[in-house]
Amino acid sequence: MSAALALFAREMRLAFSGGGGPAGPAAFNLAALSLAPLAIGPNAEVLAAAGPGVICFAALLATLQPAERLFGEDASDGTLELYALSGQSLALTCLMKALAFTCAVFWPLPILAVLGALAYGLEFGPALITGLSLLLAAPGLALVAGFAGALAAGLKRAGLLIALIAAPLQVPLLIFAAGAARSAVEAPHLVGPNLMMTAAYSLAALALAPFGAAAALRARLE
Amino acid sequence: MAGNTERLGQARRCALSLATMTQTAPALSCTDLTLDRGGRVLVRDFSLAVNAGEAVVLTGPNGSGKTTLLRALAGLVRPGGGVVKRSPAEAGIAFLGHADALKSSETVEAMLQSWTTLQGGNADATRLDAVMRELAVAHLARRECGKLSAGQKRRAALARVVLSERRVWILDEPAAPLDTASRARLAELVARHRKGGGLVIAATHVDLGWADARAVELTP
Repeated sequence: MSAALALFAREMRLAFSGGGGPAGPAAFNLAALSLAPLAIGPNAEVLAAAGPGVICFAALLATLQPAERLFGEDASDGTLELYALSGQSLALTCLMKALAFTCAVFWPLPILAVLGALAYGLEFGPALITGLSLLLAAPGLALVAGFAGALAAGLKRAGLLIALIAAPLQVPLLIFAAGAARSAVEAPHLVGPNLMMTAAYSLAALALAPFGAAAALRARLE
Repeated sequence: MAGNTERLGQARRCALSLATMTQTAPALSCTDLTLDRGGRVLVRDFSLAVNAGEAVVLTGPNGSGKTTLLRALAGLVRPGGGVVKRSPAEAGIAFLGHADALKSSETVEAMLQSWTTLQGGNADATRLDAVMRELAVAHLARRECGKLSAGQKRRAALARVVLSERRVWILDEPAAPLDTASRARLAELVARHRKGGGLVIAATHVDLGWADARAVELTP
Protein backbone atom coordinates (compact mmCIF):
# COMPACT_ATOMS: atom_id res chain seq x y z
CA MET A 1 0.00 0.00 0.00
CA SER A 2 1.38 3.40 -0.87
CA ALA A 3 2.18 5.81 1.93
CA ALA A 4 -0.56 8.28 0.94
CA LEU A 5 -3.20 5.55 0.93
CA ALA A 6 -1.94 4.21 4.26
CA LEU A 7 -2.32 7.70 5.69
CA PHE A 8 -5.83 8.05 4.28
CA ALA A 9 -6.87 4.69 5.71
CA ARG A 10 -5.39 5.49 9.12
CA GLU A 11 -7.03 8.90 9.32
CA MET A 12 -10.40 7.43 8.31
CA ARG A 13 -10.06 4.83 11.05
CA LEU A 14 -9.02 7.39 13.65
CA ALA A 15 -11.80 9.81 12.71
CA PHE A 16 -14.34 7.04 13.18
CA SER A 17 -12.98 5.43 16.32
CA GLY A 18 -11.35 8.28 18.18
CA GLY A 19 -13.51 11.31 17.64
CA GLY A 20 -16.88 9.63 17.50
CA GLY A 21 -17.00 9.81 13.71
CA PRO A 22 -19.91 11.59 12.09
CA ALA A 23 -22.21 11.57 15.13
CA GLY A 24 -21.26 15.00 16.51
CA PRO A 25 -21.63 17.12 13.37
CA ALA A 26 -24.70 15.14 12.26
CA ALA A 27 -26.43 15.70 15.60
CA PHE A 28 -25.49 19.38 15.46
CA ASN A 29 -26.85 19.65 11.93
CA LEU A 30 -30.05 17.83 12.84
CA ALA A 31 -30.60 20.04 15.87
CA ALA A 32 -30.18 23.19 13.77
CA LEU A 33 -32.60 21.87 11.13
CA SER A 34 -35.29 20.98 13.64
CA LEU A 35 -34.95 24.15 15.73
CA ALA A 36 -35.05 26.68 12.87
CA PRO A 37 -38.74 26.08 12.00
CA LEU A 38 -39.68 26.82 15.62
CA ALA A 39 -38.21 30.28 15.14
CA ILE A 40 -39.44 30.80 11.58
CA GLY A 41 -43.06 29.82 12.26
CA PRO A 42 -45.52 27.31 10.86
CA ASN A 43 -46.27 29.04 7.52
CA ALA A 44 -45.58 26.28 4.94
CA GLU A 45 -44.72 28.68 2.13
CA VAL A 46 -42.21 30.60 4.21
CA LEU A 47 -40.64 27.34 5.43
CA ALA A 48 -40.25 25.98 1.89
CA ALA A 49 -38.68 29.27 0.79
CA ALA A 50 -36.30 29.40 3.76
CA GLY A 51 -35.49 25.67 3.66
CA PRO A 52 -32.52 25.61 1.26
CA GLY A 53 -30.83 28.51 3.01
CA VAL A 54 -31.32 27.06 6.48
CA ILE A 55 -30.06 23.64 5.37
CA CYS A 56 -26.86 25.00 3.81
CA PHE A 57 -26.23 27.31 6.75
CA ALA A 58 -26.67 24.44 9.22
CA ALA A 59 -24.21 22.33 7.20
CA LEU A 60 -21.65 25.12 7.26
CA LEU A 61 -21.88 25.39 11.04
CA ALA A 62 -21.62 21.61 11.33
CA THR A 63 -18.28 21.65 9.49
CA LEU A 64 -16.86 24.26 11.88
CA GLN A 65 -17.75 22.23 14.95
CA PRO A 66 -15.12 19.42 14.63
CA ALA A 67 -12.43 21.49 12.82
CA GLU A 68 -10.44 22.00 16.00
CA ARG A 69 -9.95 18.26 16.29
CA LEU A 70 -8.47 17.81 12.82
CA PHE A 71 -4.99 19.18 13.54
CA GLY A 72 -5.23 20.21 17.20
CA GLU A 73 -4.65 16.71 18.58
CA ASP A 74 -1.75 16.05 16.21
CA ALA A 75 -0.09 19.26 17.33
CA SER A 76 -0.36 18.40 21.01
CA ASP A 77 0.45 14.68 20.98
CA GLY A 78 3.62 14.82 18.86
CA THR A 79 2.10 13.31 15.71
CA LEU A 80 2.73 16.52 13.81
CA GLU A 81 6.51 16.17 14.16
CA LEU A 82 6.36 12.63 12.83
CA TYR A 83 4.22 13.70 9.89
CA ALA A 84 6.73 16.45 9.09
CA LEU A 85 9.57 13.88 9.15
CA SER A 86 7.63 11.05 7.48
CA GLY A 87 9.21 11.67 4.09
CA GLN A 88 5.85 12.60 2.54
CA SER A 89 5.14 16.22 1.68
CA LEU A 90 3.25 17.93 4.46
CA ALA A 91 0.77 19.37 1.95
CA LEU A 92 -0.10 15.86 0.72
CA THR A 93 -0.47 14.77 4.33
CA CYS A 94 -2.86 17.67 4.99
CA LEU A 95 -4.84 16.84 1.84
CA MET A 96 -5.16 13.18 2.81
CA LYS A 97 -6.14 14.07 6.36
CA ALA A 98 -8.78 16.57 5.24
CA LEU A 99 -10.23 14.18 2.64
CA ALA A 100 -10.33 11.29 5.10
CA PHE A 101 -11.99 13.57 7.63
CA THR A 102 -14.56 14.68 5.02
CA CYS A 103 -15.39 11.08 4.12
CA ALA A 104 -15.53 9.83 7.69
CA VAL A 105 -17.24 12.74 9.41
CA PHE A 106 -19.26 14.71 6.87
CA TRP A 107 -20.85 11.96 4.80
CA PRO A 108 -24.28 12.35 6.49
CA LEU A 109 -24.55 16.04 5.51
CA PRO A 110 -25.92 15.52 1.95
CA ILE A 111 -28.31 12.84 3.19
CA LEU A 112 -29.56 15.07 5.99
CA ALA A 113 -29.93 17.85 3.43
CA VAL A 114 -32.28 15.74 1.27
CA LEU A 115 -34.33 14.65 4.29
CA GLY A 116 -34.36 18.19 5.66
CA ALA A 117 -35.48 19.65 2.33
CA LEU A 118 -38.38 17.18 2.20
CA ALA A 119 -39.32 18.05 5.76
CA TYR A 120 -39.29 21.76 4.93
CA GLY A 121 -41.84 21.08 2.19
CA LEU A 122 -39.68 21.04 -0.94
CA GLU A 123 -40.58 18.59 -3.67
CA PHE A 124 -38.44 15.53 -4.35
CA GLY A 125 -36.52 17.02 -7.31
CA PRO A 126 -35.43 20.21 -5.54
CA ALA A 127 -34.67 18.17 -2.40
CA LEU A 128 -32.27 16.00 -4.42
CA ILE A 129 -30.66 19.14 -5.85
CA THR A 130 -30.17 20.41 -2.28
CA GLY A 131 -28.42 17.16 -1.40
CA LEU A 132 -26.28 17.31 -4.55
CA SER A 133 -25.24 20.89 -3.88
CA LEU A 134 -24.11 19.94 -0.38
CA LEU A 135 -22.32 16.89 -1.72
CA LEU A 136 -20.30 19.26 -3.91
CA ALA A 137 -19.88 21.83 -1.16
CA ALA A 138 -18.88 19.44 1.67
CA PRO A 139 -15.24 18.87 0.55
CA GLY A 140 -14.74 22.61 0.11
CA LEU A 141 -16.31 23.40 3.48
CA ALA A 142 -14.17 20.75 5.17
CA LEU A 143 -10.93 21.84 3.48
CA VAL A 144 -11.45 25.49 4.42
CA ALA A 145 -12.32 24.46 7.98
CA GLY A 146 -9.21 22.24 7.99
CA PHE A 147 -7.03 25.14 6.85
CA ALA A 148 -8.42 27.28 9.69
CA GLY A 149 -7.89 24.35 12.06
CA ALA A 150 -4.23 24.15 11.01
CA LEU A 151 -3.77 27.88 11.62
CA ALA A 152 -5.30 27.58 15.08
CA ALA A 153 -3.74 24.20 15.98
CA GLY A 154 -2.61 24.09 19.58
CA LEU A 155 -3.76 27.61 20.43
CA LYS A 156 -6.07 28.62 23.23
CA ARG A 157 -9.58 29.47 22.06
CA ALA A 158 -8.86 27.69 18.78
CA GLY A 159 -12.59 27.29 18.19
CA LEU A 160 -13.19 31.02 18.12
CA LEU A 161 -10.24 31.58 15.79
CA ILE A 162 -11.42 28.82 13.45
CA ALA A 163 -14.88 30.36 13.17
CA LEU A 164 -13.41 33.79 12.45
CA ILE A 165 -11.02 32.49 9.78
CA ALA A 166 -13.13 29.81 8.13
CA ALA A 167 -16.59 31.38 8.01
CA PRO A 168 -15.72 34.24 5.61
CA LEU A 169 -13.85 31.85 3.32
CA GLN A 170 -16.83 29.49 3.26
CA VAL A 171 -19.26 32.24 2.23
CA PRO A 172 -19.06 31.56 -1.55
CA LEU A 173 -19.89 27.89 -0.95
CA LEU A 174 -22.87 28.91 1.17
CA ILE A 175 -24.14 31.31 -1.51
CA PHE A 176 -23.78 28.96 -4.47
CA ALA A 177 -24.92 25.77 -2.74
CA ALA A 178 -28.01 27.49 -1.33
CA GLY A 179 -28.43 29.27 -4.66
CA ALA A 180 -28.58 25.95 -6.53
CA ALA A 181 -31.16 24.59 -4.11
CA ARG A 182 -33.30 27.74 -4.29
CA SER A 183 -33.09 27.89 -8.07
CA ALA A 184 -34.43 24.34 -8.25
CA VAL A 185 -37.73 25.80 -7.04
CA GLU A 186 -37.72 29.27 -8.55
CA ALA A 187 -35.51 29.28 -11.66
CA PRO A 188 -34.42 25.81 -12.82
CA HIS A 189 -32.10 27.17 -15.52
CA LEU A 190 -29.83 28.60 -12.78
CA VAL A 191 -29.32 25.24 -11.04
CA GLY A 192 -26.48 24.19 -13.37
CA PRO A 193 -24.40 27.36 -13.06
CA ASN A 194 -24.79 27.43 -9.29
CA LEU A 195 -23.76 23.79 -8.95
CA MET A 196 -20.77 24.40 -11.19
CA MET A 197 -19.67 27.38 -9.12
CA THR A 198 -20.00 25.25 -5.97
CA ALA A 199 -17.87 22.51 -7.54
CA ALA A 200 -15.33 25.07 -8.79
CA TYR A 201 -14.90 26.55 -5.32
CA SER A 202 -14.51 23.08 -3.80
CA LEU A 203 -11.87 22.24 -6.40
CA ALA A 204 -10.03 25.49 -5.73
CA ALA A 205 -10.04 24.69 -2.01
CA LEU A 206 -8.76 21.20 -2.85
CA ALA A 207 -5.83 22.71 -4.75
CA LEU A 208 -4.96 25.54 -2.35
CA ALA A 209 -6.05 24.69 1.20
CA PRO A 210 -3.55 21.79 1.71
CA PHE A 211 -0.62 24.11 0.94
CA GLY A 212 -1.97 26.76 3.28
CA ALA A 213 -2.51 24.18 6.02
CA ALA A 214 0.99 22.74 5.52
CA ALA A 215 2.57 26.20 5.75
CA ALA A 216 0.59 26.93 8.92
CA LEU A 217 1.65 23.65 10.52
CA ARG A 218 5.29 24.19 9.58
CA ALA A 219 5.18 27.60 11.24
CA ARG A 220 3.57 26.01 14.26
CA LEU A 221 6.43 23.49 14.57
CA GLU A 222 9.06 26.23 14.79
CA MET B 1 31.76 -4.63 -24.92
CA ALA B 2 34.18 -1.70 -24.68
CA GLY B 3 31.27 0.51 -23.66
CA ASN B 4 30.35 -1.95 -20.95
CA THR B 5 33.88 -2.01 -19.50
CA GLU B 6 33.93 1.79 -19.53
CA ARG B 7 30.59 1.94 -17.71
CA LEU B 8 31.83 -0.61 -15.19
CA GLY B 9 34.91 1.54 -14.59
CA GLN B 10 32.73 4.58 -14.09
CA ALA B 11 30.53 2.74 -11.66
CA ARG B 12 33.56 1.59 -9.68
CA ARG B 13 35.01 5.11 -9.54
CA CYS B 14 31.62 6.39 -8.44
CA ALA B 15 31.42 3.76 -5.70
CA LEU B 16 34.97 4.57 -4.62
CA SER B 17 34.32 8.28 -4.35
CA LEU B 18 31.09 7.57 -2.47
CA ALA B 19 32.99 5.35 -0.07
CA THR B 20 35.65 7.99 0.59
CA MET B 21 32.92 10.59 0.99
CA THR B 22 31.11 8.60 3.63
CA GLN B 23 34.38 7.96 5.39
CA THR B 24 35.36 11.61 5.55
CA ALA B 25 32.10 13.56 5.85
CA PRO B 26 30.23 12.98 9.10
CA ALA B 27 26.76 11.52 8.67
CA LEU B 28 25.19 14.34 10.66
CA SER B 29 26.83 17.57 11.73
CA CYS B 30 26.09 21.09 12.83
CA THR B 31 28.41 24.06 12.94
CA ASP B 32 28.12 27.28 14.95
CA LEU B 33 24.51 26.54 15.74
CA THR B 34 22.57 29.23 17.58
CA LEU B 35 19.08 28.39 18.78
CA ASP B 36 16.58 30.56 20.52
CA ARG B 37 13.19 29.92 21.93
CA GLY B 38 10.70 32.57 22.95
CA GLY B 39 13.29 35.31 22.38
CA ARG B 40 15.89 33.68 24.68
CA VAL B 41 19.10 32.23 23.26
CA LEU B 42 19.42 28.63 24.47
CA VAL B 43 22.37 27.35 22.50
CA ARG B 44 25.15 29.51 21.13
CA ASP B 45 27.84 28.53 18.59
CA PHE B 46 27.35 24.83 19.12
CA SER B 47 29.15 22.41 16.83
CA LEU B 48 28.83 18.64 16.66
CA ALA B 49 29.79 15.98 14.14
CA VAL B 50 28.39 12.48 14.40
CA ASN B 51 29.67 9.62 12.28
CA ALA B 52 27.84 6.50 11.25
CA GLY B 53 27.93 3.96 14.05
CA GLU B 54 28.23 6.57 16.80
CA ALA B 55 25.96 7.41 19.69
CA VAL B 56 25.82 10.84 21.31
CA VAL B 57 24.12 11.41 24.63
CA LEU B 58 23.16 14.99 25.42
CA THR B 59 22.85 15.92 29.06
CA GLY B 60 22.23 19.17 30.85
CA PRO B 61 19.83 20.77 33.30
CA ASN B 62 16.19 21.53 32.48
CA GLY B 63 15.88 24.39 30.05
CA SER B 64 19.41 24.06 28.67
CA GLY B 65 18.10 23.51 25.15
CA LYS B 66 18.42 19.76 24.68
CA THR B 67 15.00 19.33 23.10
CA THR B 68 15.39 22.40 20.90
CA LEU B 69 18.79 21.14 19.75
CA LEU B 70 17.35 17.72 18.87
CA ARG B 71 14.52 19.37 16.95
CA ALA B 72 17.01 21.53 15.06
CA LEU B 73 19.15 18.49 14.20
CA ALA B 74 16.02 16.74 12.92
CA GLY B 75 15.23 19.76 10.75
CA LEU B 76 12.02 20.65 12.58
CA VAL B 77 13.29 24.01 13.79
CA ARG B 78 15.13 26.51 11.67
CA PRO B 79 18.24 27.60 13.59
CA GLY B 80 18.82 31.28 14.35
CA GLY B 81 22.37 30.87 13.07
CA GLY B 82 24.68 28.16 11.79
CA VAL B 83 23.94 25.13 9.66
CA VAL B 84 22.86 21.53 10.10
CA LYS B 85 24.20 19.12 7.50
CA ARG B 86 23.24 15.56 6.76
CA SER B 87 25.06 13.33 4.31
CA PRO B 88 22.85 12.27 1.39
CA ALA B 89 22.97 8.65 2.53
CA GLU B 90 20.99 9.55 5.67
CA ALA B 91 17.71 10.08 3.90
CA GLY B 92 15.24 9.96 6.73
CA ILE B 93 15.21 10.57 10.45
CA ALA B 94 13.48 8.44 13.03
CA PHE B 95 12.35 10.87 15.69
CA LEU B 96 11.02 10.23 19.16
CA GLY B 97 9.92 13.38 20.94
CA HIS B 98 8.73 14.07 24.48
CA ALA B 99 5.24 12.98 23.51
CA ASP B 100 4.79 9.46 22.24
CA ALA B 101 2.58 10.47 19.29
CA LEU B 102 0.11 7.68 20.03
CA LYS B 103 -3.64 7.87 19.46
CA SER B 104 -5.64 6.52 22.35
CA SER B 105 -8.15 4.64 20.18
CA GLU B 106 -5.58 2.92 17.95
CA THR B 107 -4.16 -0.51 18.75
CA VAL B 108 -0.40 -0.89 19.05
CA GLU B 109 -0.27 -3.18 16.03
CA ALA B 110 -2.34 -0.88 13.80
CA MET B 111 -0.24 2.09 14.87
CA LEU B 112 3.03 0.32 14.03
CA GLN B 113 1.66 -0.95 10.73
CA SER B 114 0.52 2.51 9.59
CA TRP B 115 3.67 4.34 10.62
CA THR B 116 5.99 1.74 9.16
CA THR B 117 4.24 1.95 5.79
CA LEU B 118 4.23 5.73 6.01
CA GLN B 119 7.92 5.92 6.85
CA GLY B 120 8.89 3.52 4.09
CA GLY B 121 9.92 0.62 6.35
CA ASN B 122 9.10 -3.05 6.05
CA ALA B 123 5.56 -3.52 7.41
CA ASP B 124 5.68 -7.28 7.10
CA ALA B 125 3.73 -9.07 9.85
CA THR B 126 6.73 -11.23 10.85
CA ARG B 127 9.05 -8.23 11.04
CA LEU B 128 6.47 -6.30 13.07
CA ASP B 129 6.10 -9.23 15.41
CA ALA B 130 9.86 -9.62 15.85
CA VAL B 131 10.35 -5.97 16.81
CA MET B 132 7.35 -5.99 19.13
CA ARG B 133 8.82 -9.04 20.87
CA GLU B 134 12.19 -7.32 21.25
CA LEU B 135 10.56 -4.38 22.99
CA ALA B 136 8.21 -6.61 24.98
CA VAL B 137 5.03 -5.14 23.52
CA ALA B 138 3.99 -8.22 21.53
CA HIS B 139 1.42 -9.18 24.18
CA LEU B 140 -0.04 -5.67 23.92
CA ALA B 141 -0.40 -5.78 20.12
CA ARG B 142 -4.20 -5.64 20.19
CA ARG B 143 -4.53 -3.28 23.10
CA GLU B 144 -5.48 0.34 22.47
CA CYS B 145 -2.65 2.79 23.06
CA GLY B 146 -4.80 4.80 25.45
CA LYS B 147 -4.89 1.83 27.82
CA LEU B 148 -1.12 1.41 28.11
CA SER B 149 1.07 2.52 30.99
CA ALA B 150 3.65 5.29 30.41
CA GLY B 151 6.49 2.79 30.05
CA GLN B 152 4.49 0.58 27.67
CA LYS B 153 3.64 3.63 25.56
CA ARG B 154 7.31 4.53 25.36
CA ARG B 155 8.20 1.00 24.29
CA ALA B 156 5.53 1.05 21.58
CA ALA B 157 6.91 4.39 20.35
CA LEU B 158 10.43 2.93 20.35
CA ALA B 159 9.18 0.00 18.26
CA ARG B 160 8.02 2.58 15.71
CA VAL B 161 11.54 4.04 15.62
CA VAL B 162 13.12 0.62 15.06
CA LEU B 163 10.60 -0.33 12.35
CA SER B 164 11.23 2.85 10.38
CA GLU B 165 14.57 1.32 9.33
CA ARG B 166 16.06 4.77 9.19
CA ARG B 167 19.72 5.20 10.03
CA VAL B 168 19.50 8.36 12.09
CA TRP B 169 17.67 8.02 15.39
CA ILE B 170 16.97 11.19 17.34
CA LEU B 171 15.49 10.36 20.73
CA ASP B 172 14.32 12.80 23.37
CA GLU B 173 14.32 11.21 26.82
CA PRO B 174 13.90 7.70 25.39
CA ALA B 175 14.22 5.96 28.75
CA ALA B 176 12.55 8.30 31.26
CA PRO B 177 9.51 6.06 31.99
CA LEU B 178 11.28 2.74 31.31
CA ASP B 179 12.09 0.12 33.95
CA THR B 180 15.56 -1.45 34.27
CA ALA B 181 14.82 -4.39 32.00
CA SER B 182 13.41 -2.13 29.29
CA ARG B 183 16.43 0.15 29.52
CA ALA B 184 18.68 -2.82 28.96
CA ARG B 185 16.56 -3.78 25.94
CA LEU B 186 16.89 -0.28 24.56
CA ALA B 187 20.67 -0.33 25.07
CA GLU B 188 20.84 -3.60 23.20
CA LEU B 189 18.78 -2.25 20.30
CA VAL B 190 20.93 0.86 20.10
CA ALA B 191 24.12 -1.23 20.08
CA ARG B 192 22.77 -3.35 17.22
CA HIS B 193 21.62 -0.28 15.30
CA ARG B 194 25.10 1.22 15.58
CA LYS B 195 26.74 -1.98 14.46
CA GLY B 196 24.61 -1.81 11.33
CA GLY B 197 25.94 1.66 10.55
CA GLY B 198 23.19 3.67 12.24
CA LEU B 199 23.71 6.63 14.50
CA VAL B 200 21.83 7.71 17.59
CA ILE B 201 21.55 11.08 19.29
CA ALA B 202 19.64 11.11 22.54
CA ALA B 203 18.91 13.63 25.26
CA THR B 204 18.51 12.22 28.72
CA HIS B 205 18.50 12.80 32.47
CA VAL B 206 18.86 9.14 33.37
CA ASP B 207 21.80 6.84 32.84
CA LEU B 208 21.15 5.04 29.57
CA GLY B 209 24.01 2.59 30.00
CA TRP B 210 25.04 2.76 26.36
CA ALA B 211 28.57 1.43 25.89
CA ASP B 212 31.12 3.95 24.54
CA ALA B 213 28.54 6.62 23.80
CA ARG B 214 29.90 10.14 23.50
CA ALA B 215 28.60 12.42 26.23
CA VAL B 216 27.94 16.06 25.42
CA GLU B 217 26.83 18.39 28.17
CA LEU B 218 24.83 21.48 27.45
CA THR B 219 25.17 24.35 29.89
CA PRO B 220 22.53 27.03 30.17
